[in-house]
Amino acid sequence: MTSTTVSKAESLNADLRRRLEEAEEVIRAIREGEIDALVVRNEANGEEVFTLEGGVESYRSFMEAMNLGAAAFDRFGNLLYANRALTDLVDVARDALDGPVLFTALGANGAKALRDLISAAHPATSAVEVTLGSGDGAKHLLIAAGEMTLGTNSGVAVTFTDVTARINAEKRAQAERTALAILASAVEAVVVCDLNGVVTHANASASSLAGADPIGSTFDEAFALDFRGATGLMQGGDFLDVVASGQPIQGIEAIAPRSRGAKDVLVSASALMVGEGSIGTVVTLVDLSRRKAAEKQQLLLMGELDHRVKNTLALVVSISNRTASTEETIDGFRKAFSGRIHALAATHNVLADRSWASIFLRDILSTELAPYVNELGSRLEMIGDDIEILPRAAIAFGLVVHELATNAVKYGALAIETGKIAVSVAARDTYFEVSWKEIGGPKVSMPTRRGFGNTVITRSLQYSANGGASLDFETDGVRCTIRIPVEDVVQA
Amino acid sequence: MTMEDMEDQPTGTPKKLTLYVAGQTPKSLAALQNLERICAESLPGKYVIEVVDLRKSPQLAREHGIVAIPTLVRELPVPIRKIIGDLSNAEKVLVSLQVEGE
Repeated sequence: MTSTTVSKAESLNADLRRRLEEAEEVIRAIREGEIDALVVRNEANGEEVFTLEGGVESYRSFMEAMNLGAAAFDRFGNLLYANRALTDLVDVARDALDGPVLFTALGANGAKALRDLISAAHPATSAVEVTLGSGDGAKHLLIAAGEMTLGTNSGVAVTFTDVTARINAEKRAQAERTALAILASAVEAVVVCDLNGVVTHANASASSLAGADPIGSTFDEAFALDFRGATGLMQGGDFLDVVASGQPIQGIEAIAPRSRGAKDVLVSASALMVGEGSIGTVVTLVDLSRRKAAEKQQLLLMGELDHRVKNTLALVVSISNRTASTEETIDGFRKAFSGRIHALAATHNVLADRSWASIFLRDILSTELAPYVNELGSRLEMIGDDIEILPRAAIAFGLVVHELATNAVKYGALAIETGKIAVSVAARDTYFEVSWKEIGGPKVSMPTRRGFGNTVITRSLQYSANGGASLDFETDGVRCTIRIPVEDVVQA
Repeated sequence: MTMEDMEDQPTGTPKKLTLYVAGQTPKSLAALQNLERICAESLPGKYVIEVVDLRKSPQLAREHGIVAIPTLVRELPVPIRKIIGDLSNAEKVLVSLQVEGE
């Protein structure tokens, strides 16, 4: 053989070997299911392609007819087919949708969930829920996967169901439950009205103010609020129209006549906005009863204080005038006047300590005698039960005791060591008789003129027909009989 | 017929790979996706992929004597190589495509 012949034989041999390898490779690929189409040549039509599974088109037609997003993958996660509903769902153009684009569109979490589903797919369907995007525009997909066979191919059928509407409905229902719970838990009365002013929601406090369940009635019918401070310009549910037009109202006082005891309430209201539009109004009614009661009490106290200050000033002027008319020197006036003002102040102090309620006779006696007597216990003797008297009588009694004490210190029983005062109390029909008797003092003679002390004693307590006092200069000691009106004594 | 240029072309002109498919059959789609992945991950810039749809142009099968679909053909460098099947065995594909010294 020539070298050319040898070379040709080798080349032919190599070509045959290559064709044999190719033929074996084709057979292997067919056996292992790696091909699904064959090229067949015939004389009439030339090359023709035959697919090994005829069902491909039919399964695609079926997928296209589905409303759900649907896709077929092979076992390796390669996208074989995706229907139009899926391209709409992930918002990708039909031509642009391939495997990588689909996985990208599902986001990192969605792509991982889908890969896990495909790799774990078995004949029984398993599903997972994924969220695309965030916020209000978030889309919720339920992805379900199951194993399937397509001719010679094993693959995975995956459906994508848009469950956004269901999830949003659940969220809305949850939000509504929360809102109702908030409404029910609110201490203040909260009322929700629709645009026609009809009450749609109300909590227990609101029902209490309405005196009945207000739901279904108009706000005006249910609550009949009386806006007395609004000069008649606003009545009933008029304010709801104002509020619904976008002008909130805050802190208008009204009376809720339907509630038990006609409560004062503070009304505030604003439009109930859902999205961009108003769907009604929210009204809150704050119970002002306690605050109003406190304000009334305060006014009462201020009136009382005013009254007392005026009375006290009148008394001080009277004391000043009477003292001036009976004292002959400036020094005498100063001493007598300041003594009497101090006596008045002392009774005031004791009364203030008791919140101007009532006071025991012994307390007044102790207070008024304290500046003059060191050992009160041995100089003052009380006979009979002590009584509690009201401020009006207490101030008068305090002044009387002051005058009696100063007189006793100057001329009577308290001027000497052994003298003492006996005070007895006896109940009579319309008054309590308090008797002041000086014992063990020097001999008493009638004063030559009637001083202020005498006037104070006899005139005080005459504000009541049942009250009064009389002074007797008995030789063994001054006796003063004071009548405390029964209406000024606290009955046990 | 489509031509897809590979991204990130390094030195040297990329060589052409021809993938013969039959429309959208599962194996055709799988082969294309597997090939794109292998090229992107292991052979960046070395090849461009030409996809020949024999459903549309069956006569093009004659040039490379294609019998089974899908089939991948590498013409250069010689000798011509054919890889038949869905290219799911990436290792085998790489061995066939990577010639020593390249």
